[in-house]
Amino acid sequence: MEPIETLQQEAQTKIQSAASLSELNELRVLYLGKKGPVQELMKGMKDLPKEEKPIFGQKVNQLKQLLSSMIEDKKVELEKKEMEAKIENEKIDITLPGRSPVLGNAHPLNLVKQELEDLFIGLGYQVIEGNDIVDDLYCFERANIPKDHPARDMQDSLYIDQNTLLGTHTTAIQMMVLEKSAPNLPIKVVCPGKVYRRDDDDATHSHQFMQMEGLVIGEKVTLSDLKGTLEFMAKKLFGQDRQIRFRPSYFPFTEPSVEVDVTCHICNGKGCPTCKGTGWIEILGAGEVHPNVLKMAGYDPEKCSGFAFGVGIERVAMLKYGIDDIRHFYTNDKRFLETFKRFD
Amino acid sequence: MRISRKWLSQYMDVSDLSIEEMADRITSAGLEVEGVERLAQGTNLVIGQVEECYPHPDSDHLNCTKVNVGDEVLDIVCGAPNVAAGQKVIVALPGAKLCGGEIKKGKIRGQVSNGMICSLVELGVDPHSLSEEQKSGIEVLDQDAPVGNKDPFAYLGLDDEILEIGLTPNRSDCLAAFNMGLEAGAILNREVKLPEYQGAANVGGKTNLHVSSTTEKCPLFLGKVIGEITIKESPKWMKELLAASGMKSINNVVDISNIVMLETGQPMHFYDKDAIVNQEITVASGFDEDYVALDGVTYHLLPEDIVITNQSKPIGIAGIMGGDDSKILDTTKGLIIECAIFDHVSIRNTARRLNLATESSIRYQKGIEPLAASKALDRAVQLLIEYADAKMIEETVQYGDSGYTPVKLSCTLKDINGRLGTDFNVEEVKDVFERLHFEPVYEDGNYTVNIPSYRTDIEGKADLSEEVIRLLGYDRLPSTLPLMEMTEGKLNDKQKLIRTVRNLYCQLGLQDCLTYTLVSTQKKDNAILGLQDPIQLASPMSEERRWIRTSILPSLLDVVSYNHARTIKDVNVFELSNVAGTQGTRMHLAFVLSGLLQQTRWLQYELPSDFYTGKGLIETLFDHIGISAARVSFEANTEDVVHFHPYQSAKILIDKKCIGYLGKIHPQYAKETDCKDVIMAELDFDALVDIKKAKIKFAPISKYPSVQRDLAFVIDRNMPVKKVVNIINKNARYNKEEIIRNVEVFDVYQGEHVAKDEKSVALSITFQSDTHTLKDEEINEVFENILNAIQTECNATLRS
Repeated sequence: MEPIETLQQEAQTKIQSAASLSELNELRVLYLGKKGPVQELMKGMKDLPKEEKPIFGQKVNQLKQLLSSMIEDKKVELEKKEMEAKIENEKIDITLPGRSPVLGNAHPLNLVKQELEDLFIGLGYQVIEGNDIVDDLYCFERANIPKDHPARDMQDSLYIDQNTLLGTHTTAIQMMVLEKSAPNLPIKVVCPGKVYRRDDDDATHSHQFMQMEGLVIGEKVTLSDLKGTLEFMAKKLFGQDRQIRFRPSYFPFTEPSVEVDVTCHICNGKGCPTCKGTGWIEILGAGEVHPNVLKMAGYDPEKCSGFAFGVGIERVAMLKYGIDDIRHFYTNDKRFLETFKRFD
Repeated sequence: MRISRKWLSQYMDVSDLSIEEMADRITSAGLEVEGVERLAQGTNLVIGQVEECYPHPDSDHLNCTKVNVGDEVLDIVCGAPNVAAGQKVIVALPGAKLCGGEIKKGKIRGQVSNGMICSLVELGVDPHSLSEEQKSGIEVLDQDAPVGNKDPFAYLGLDDEILEIGLTPNRSDCLAAFNMGLEAGAILNREVKLPEYQGAANVGGKTNLHVSSTTEKCPLFLGKVIGEITIKESPKWMKELLAASGMKSINNVVDISNIVMLETGQPMHFYDKDAIVNQEITVASGFDEDYVALDGVTYHLLPEDIVITNQSKPIGIAGIMGGDDSKILDTTKGLIIECAIFDHVSIRNTARRLNLATESSIRYQKGIEPLAASKALDRAVQLLIEYADAKMIEETVQYGDSGYTPVKLSCTLKDINGRLGTDFNVEEVKDVFERLHFEPVYEDGNYTVNIPSYRTDIEGKADLSEEVIRLLGYDRLPSTLPLMEMTEGKLNDKQKLIRTVRNLYCQLGLQDCLTYTLVSTQKKDNAILGLQDPIQLASPMSEERRWIRTSILPSLLDVVSYNHARTIKDVNVFELSNVAGTQGTRMHLAFVLSGLLQQTRWLQYELPSDFYTGKGLIETLFDHIGISAARVSFEANTEDVVHFHPYQSAKILIDKKCIGYLGKIHPQYAKETDCKDVIMAELDFDALVDIKKAKIKFAPISKYPSVQRDLAFVIDRNMPVKKVVNIINKNARYNKEEIIRNVEVFDVYQGEHVAKDEKSVALSITFQSDTHTLKDEEINEVFENILNAIQTECNATLRS
């Protein structure tokens, strides 16, 4: 065998079996280096007869290229292997817990309040808030609640003095809005707020709770407009399949007055413990604004009309999330609060 | 309000309606039926006669009986002590369903027993309406009871069903059975026939009775002497109606006063004529003395109470309870009738104070229709003549008047449909008014209606529209949205800021809380950033809820200690709520931090809830809402060193104005509140709302590289690092351009290798120009100036 072939075979075997990049580098230096056998062959070419030179030269060049590319290929292969080995070495336990940032969340009552606000903002309502302390003129007189009504007794509401008290309903804010707006039309507002009653705190009563009332006054705002609006709200709060019904009721500031029931979101109206087997859940009170209320605020009840509704924020939250005790909202147990990450 | 099927049946035919059907329809028309009650319950019952009765061979209290039930004779073992041969009894046959379960054929201690002899309690009759004898044994029927009769309830008059109706305050007229009958007739669309009694009291001869009032709280008093009456047992129908209304029968005369009250809603009082001296009755007030009422209890009268007097002595608490001396006895021979209107607020206050809720006081409190008094008097006279042999009737004496004027209203169909958003036609609406006895006349597109005296709730068109929709049914109401010009739905700036801050703090790991507005005196006194002049309630429910809070923190500390007590660590909470004092209402933002704010234990990663975390939360908040760090400063808190650690707390200032406090809790206050080592802050949120905030504006980003130089020095331990930073910022200019872009504190050290009263501080300063790449000489010049300044102004010793 000619020396070129011998060399080629020997180099090939060694390159193939190189186990590391450094070994490969040594082989490159060994075969292709300035003092290596390929270079030696090139040097020996000068002793060859003239006619053999080109052929020999070509062969040596081929050998050189072959070895170079073999080393290059091997290098890629070894690099890949080394990378793989390195990566494998970097294996982590992906089941260990992440460094998850602690997030707080809105209080469930604020969550429901915001949801209700957004829902009505989408319908073109403004959000108006008032103070907890109100004048009894707005809390009662303007809401058509007569002087001798039990709620106006010092013993029944949380009075501060003869004329001021902690608001018993957000109607007080509405009455101020009405007076401020008169005689301009239309009015479209929702008024969320904290309200207070002389109740002992237990699972279903709280001396403090949150309400949101809505008020719409226009040239021709009817009781059926109230129904459509509340139907929209019920679907947003409790799901698209919900239906509502009106039952006649009585509030001094609306006429006609209605209690509003929504089909139970737990059983879909079939009857379950949440709805006490009736398929319906009472969610709010509402009605057409009483003409006296409009008159007192400076509107002509012959020229405009409107509706008002009041929804209990706690009630919505309790129904929606199945909360059985209203005191949870004000105890602020971290485990309770953390549950309400989003409205759903 | 309780009204029974039998009672309604006196006025109209409802035999085709089940009680549930009636309840449903009455409820949908606005009178909520809260319950349906049956006087007695049980199936498969029969009247039988005990033919034989002998002791059970194996028991000392049971008896074996043979009971004839008409078509057969049954063996029944009976445990009642009063069972005896010959009695007529109620037998529950095998298969009977009673409140206690089903009756089956069987053996009791070896003896055959094919049924049960019943007591009324076992048949579900309200024990309150039964005598002790009835409660402890089987019911023994009269000897004329028909054996084999399969409806013993009808025989006993216990076959009635009662509707329990929850009336809204505007419909107290329905407390009167006559009015309830008319209402039910309107709802169920039935013809109603009430008894004819009008004018029955317009009889009588001359009288010596004198009635009057010295108080304006009695606008009307009708009095009448009935010279002779006979006291006896009431007729069966009266007893049954009273029982259905939960009242006991006493005698015919007392029962008549109660029946008339139930029918007309007007409480009335009958006095024994002989007990009233000189036939004089005066309504008065101004008493302050003890008084024994007819229940035998002594009540203390106060000047504001309305009192019925005879010869200036109290004989009754008006509208609530009569007196013992003048009550109707079996020996009573003649009556004086009182039929009056009293001020309902006064009655309410007195009844509540004396804790006396009587049938009478309840009706007075809810308001009585203006014509009820004369209706009641007519009806009472009619019944007294018929059932108490009333004779020697004297003419009616009247003090004051009812002040009633009839109400006539008019409206158009458009008024009705326009308010409701409905499409009802002329006839439908007219029919509703007719059913309600409004006597409608429809002319030229206009309804004219006469409102009956008892419908004091109907004042105008709006009320008429409600009558229409509740009788035609809310299921006929369409569902639409208001048609009007577009309005913009939006939150105002404050509401937006509240949401921004709430979102920010939630994202930073704080939990949003809500605590009560009303607090104890102790919490009120521990206000932080509290408003001036706290407000207290005129009559608080409890000491815990006496004051309107002027600060949130005391309540929030409660939240922390509550959670800590339940071994919940790392409680980091905030609240945004209104606080108030006599000067007005402000919104505050408060937070309390404890434990760690962030943590991943196995990675040894943690963010402690310490002072600097609290400070960072405030700095981030300000930066986020557009208040630049340059406007903010934290100064030593010297004002509130009771709640705060005096050396780890700060006043928070924006534009040199204090808007809040931040700091570690004072160890003493921590002890009182069970909140060790917490960080707390309270800020005037309204100040943040009102303060001018920077608008977001794009500034070009420098194309040239920035250079960082570090600087370490030792200064006096009490020297604020902020002072050094300020000096650096003052020397930030080169060629009029501010080339210092950031000063970062990266190390503060005190302890070993540093003198006791000194600290070592290391800062990193970033230099950059918007116009060129900074040269070393330029930076050096500025840097040198800084070094000189802090050495001279802060007495700093540079470290290499």
